[in-house]
Amino acid sequence: MDLVFDRVGKRFDQRDALIDLTFSMASGEMAFLTGHSGAGKSTLLRLLLLLDRATSGEVSVNGRPLSKIRDSGIAAYRRDFGVVFQDHKLLFDRSVFHNVALPLEIAGFTKRDIDRRVRAALDKVGLLARERASPEMLSGGEQQRVGIARAVVARPKILIADEPTGNLDPQLSAEIMGLFAAFNSVGVTVIVASHDLGLISRMSQRILTLKEGRLITLNTDLRGDS
Amino acid sequence: MVGQSPAGAGSGPRPQVLAWAYHHRAAAKTSVEKMLREPISNTLTVLVIAFALALPTFGLALANAVNQEVKRLDAPPQLSLLTESRVTLDDAKLLAERIALRPGVASVKVIDRDTALTEFIEATGLDALSSRLESNPLPHTLWLYPAPNIRSAGLEQLSQDLTVLPGVAEVVLDSRWLERLEAFLALARSIAVALGMAMALGVVLTLGNTLRLGIESRREEIVVIKLIGGGNAFARRPFLYTGALIGALGGLVSGVLIFMTLEILNAPISQLFELYDRSVTVAIFDLSDLTVLVGLGSVLGWTSACYSVQLHLTRIQPR
Repeated sequence: MDLVFDRVGKRFDQRDALIDLTFSMASGEMAFLTGHSGAGKSTLLRLLLLLDRATSGEVSVNGRPLSKIRDSGIAAYRRDFGVVFQDHKLLFDRSVFHNVALPLEIAGFTKRDIDRRVRAALDKVGLLARERASPEMLSGGEQQRVGIARAVVARPKILIADEPTGNLDPQLSAEIMGLFAAFNSVGVTVIVASHDLGLISRMSQRILTLKEGRLITLNTDLRGDS
Repeated sequence: MVGQSPAGAGSGPRPQVLAWAYHHRAAAKTSVEKMLREPISNTLTVLVIAFALALPTFGLALANAVNQEVKRLDAPPQLSLLTESRVTLDDAKLLAERIALRPGVASVKVIDRDTALTEFIEATGLDALSSRLESNPLPHTLWLYPAPNIRSAGLEQLSQDLTVLPGVAEVVLDSRWLERLEAFLALARSIAVALGMAMALGVVLTLGNTLRLGIESRREEIVVIKLIGGGNAFARRPFLYTGALIGALGGLVSGVLIFMTLEILNAPISQLFELYDRSVTVAIFDLSDLTVLVGLGSVLGWTSACYSVQLHLTRIQPR
């Protein structure tokens, strides 16, 4: 799924969070989104997930302008995305397995398919043995990996991660970035917001840098082959 | 575009209708599980609903039962027609034949004045009276048996019509008690219905509030569901089932309460009916009433869940 930001602006009260933002990503591309906090990374991701709507310009996903999607269609639109949150957003009242199964339940998969896919996703992030555990029992890194399993279990077309390595040590962070690269290598469009410049510069992927709501680099040359 | 799945192979989501049915089954299961996790507060809510439903239902059931019994009463002689004293027995018999042809009159019996006096003396034991009377002061009397389907308003009209016939001195209508009973029953039913509507509103509000607390306590879950592509309908479903289930349980418990109350009241009710030479022939509250009550409870529960969810759940949006 490709996506296009065309002269997108977002204004909150008296403050411009994004100004005249124009860039595009091809289907199957991977990009890092970086910048200081408050630079507009989260706002950009929120526009993409339709948690907010652009004040000016147009965001299009797979050729479809988001301004044409009505509120009642947002839920269905979001099902094309897998999202990894900085604070994981796991539900502590159910097991790891059922956290990961949630997107499949929403999409209406059969129990058999759910079982198989959840186990495959947990296997991918190395947590198959913990499927019955409560997320509370897991370490921060493990919780983040459960969040990643949930994000990819329904085979999203676009994977979005917002500061996925925020609270993790460098080795865990590298492992998690490696997971995203692996998903990208099977054709998923991946956007990772991160301020860990050292880590992302080693990943040899495109880097979009935001500063005070504007895009200051359009680093396409660094893109590795994936 | 996604050539190979990152999450393993498998077929896609099932067709819409199947998915919908599956969602509903899953939502029902989830709501039962969540209810069992908070047994005390849910039991209390069920009891509140049970009492709210039991009171008006019991009143209505009792009023309907008494009403049915009243309808089954054989119409007793409710009109006594006294002739003028100059009317002879033959004229009285002619009058009786004419009246018997009227609509609303089942039959007419003529009590001649001598029989009436004899019966009066026998009934009262006033033998001495007869010897003192120079002549029989009683007129001939006609007893009218109204048709069974005629109600008190019809009787009133009939008695007025008969009063103006020639030779008729007076028509005594003995139906005041029936009128009063009917009026009382109508009032009792109106009160039960009004009470029922007030209680139904109470059920909707009580349950709506309980569900609101449930929605608040699951705010995090609702936000996550919405973030990963679940719509309002998906988030709403477990609450609708919880509402319907609590309502249905409330209906069931209220039925049990009514059965228990009737068991306790069984003796005094039978006694009351015996005073009117009746035995209780209709069931005051039976299984079909219980079914209605459970159905009503679940409809009320579903309704209040819809209202509560509309008010609170749709406002919860990911931030």
